[in-house]
Amino acid sequence: MAIRLYAEPKLMNPIMIVGWPGIGNIGIITIDTLCEITGAEEFGEIESIYFFSPKKVIIRSGLLETLEFPKNKFFHTRLEKNDVIFFIGEEQPKKSIASGYAEGEEAYRMANLVIDVAVKFGCRRIYTSGAAVSYIHHTIKSKVWAVPNMKHLIREVKQYPNTVLMSHIENRAGRGFIAGLNGLLLGVAKKRGLEGICLMGEIPIYFQGLPIPYPAASRSVLEVFSTILGIPIDFSGFDELYRDVEIQIEDIYHQIPAEVKHQLDRLKESMREKQRELEPLTDENRKKLWDEIANFLKGDTGDEGAV
Amino acid sequence: MKEPFEPTAYAGLHNPFVIIGWNGDTGKVAQRATSYLIRKLSGSHFATIEPTGFFPLEGVSVDENCIQFPESIFYTCRRKDLLFFQSDQPENDHYRFLNTFFETAEQDGMINELYTINGMISQKAHTAPRRILSVFNSAELKDMLMTYDLDGLTWEGAPALSSFLLWMAWKKGIPGLSLWIEVPFYLASVPDFQAIKLILSFFNQRFNLEIDLDDINKETEEQNEKLETARNENPEVNKYLGLLESGLGLNDEIKIKLTRDVYSYLKNKT
Repeated sequence: MAIRLYAEPKLMNPIMIVGWPGIGNIGIITIDTLCEITGAEEFGEIESIYFFSPKKVIIRSGLLETLEFPKNKFFHTRLEKNDVIFFIGEEQPKKSIASGYAEGEEAYRMANLVIDVAVKFGCRRIYTSGAAVSYIHHTIKSKVWAVPNMKHLIREVKQYPNTVLMSHIENRAGRGFIAGLNGLLLGVAKKRGLEGICLMGEIPIYFQGLPIPYPAASRSVLEVFSTILGIPIDFSGFDELYRDVEIQIEDIYHQIPAEVKHQLDRLKESMREKQRELEPLTDENRKKLWDEIANFLKGDTGDEGAV
Repeated sequence: MKEPFEPTAYAGLHNPFVIIGWNGDTGKVAQRATSYLIRKLSGSHFATIEPTGFFPLEGVSVDENCIQFPESIFYTCRRKDLLFFQSDQPENDHYRFLNTFFETAEQDGMINELYTINGMISQKAHTAPRRILSVFNSAELKDMLMTYDLDGLTWEGAPALSSFLLWMAWKKGIPGLSLWIEVPFYLASVPDFQAIKLILSFFNQRFNLEIDLDDINKETEEQNEKLETARNENPEVNKYLGLLESGLGLNDEIKIKLTRDVYSYLKNKT
């Protein structure tokens, strides 16, 4: 038995919104924030022991008090238009610590369990959220890449604010890959006949390897959810909460060598004013530049101790 | 232990003819042709092969703006004793996957004949006639189908999954044929309706399906019209297609450019 429900609320026209950690923690911050502002209450979980190793032990005076596992919790809230079930997974099940994302049978089983709950409560649609690594500058507002799991949803997602389809992104031709459970879940949903939409906030490619969140992208995704759910979102608390992170991002940016930063600033200008004449920068040079910056910013986070 | 396949209905077939189409093939020939036949013959869902173990499941790919998920589905058409298998090509454990395929397909009796559909990249222009190249695993079947307009394929190199399947069928004594339809390289990533029409005509004739192909004819005409307009509006496209029509080759850089131009043109005009 991997699903434990503490309550079985009667739901009206429910949808499910799901998040797992990933690059910049964009999805998890988004779903966490939605849970908080809608006052969602926990009502169930997927038992972690079947998927994860313990992440923390508490031992006091030689006595093992508890062992903590990554949590996988279901929450519920009632809005004017819909009931909403949230699912937040603190980690993605993976074969080894080295692999960044969920994969294989465990991931497939986890996805099916989440969808079992969606089906049990009559959800016809599931949203996930994650990161879209993009050639943007961090001072430019992140767009949201929207990818549905069924063709008939394309028309709807085109109506969402500040949103783009894969086909609108340079050199993608409507194609791509969504790594980990935020994508896999919607594949499994499709197999089981449920609609799904993945909303991914853009993160600059040079921040993708850094172990810091990127709240600006979550903010953009939240704005889309505000439209979908028909709820206004007051961002003052959000902005306050992540002010330190924004400062940290600026600090990191200022550590970039002046020459590279100059190139980045040129790109920022080109994004803002496409029509303005700039020195030519080929695709190849641009990729090289982003790679250089990304490598420069990657740091060794070191190993944590274990007892 | 859980079966790797999940039957959802009774197949009700006796020594079926099996048609296999791999999703995402060149020119989307197999994918579109099998979907078309299943739809026109009112095929019903019979079983699926579960993806675990065969696909990495580390995420999902996106194509035509939509999330894709690996599928391996059997459909039956009892009226014609046809069994269709429409599937993504597994990335791991091919032998076990193909054995699972045979185990499922032969639940109600041995397979009569087996056909796989495949798109194959060609350096010819779309205005040249498409050929269907054939690979048989049985001389008897080859003789039986000699009146069809098929050209024997010669190849020495890495085997495709269809060849592996055909070899396994041969080991089991099942006659089979892999059909490889030529697709101009610049149409490889979009549905090549001319090629799709050709393969549908083959099956129409082989199994007396009496399917009216008017809708495919219309889509073929529309695609050809768009390509013609692209030639008229874009001199480079016209020049490169002209070179192909004259039997001249293009270098890789120009091939990529032509493919991009044609792709964006077909997409934008859709």
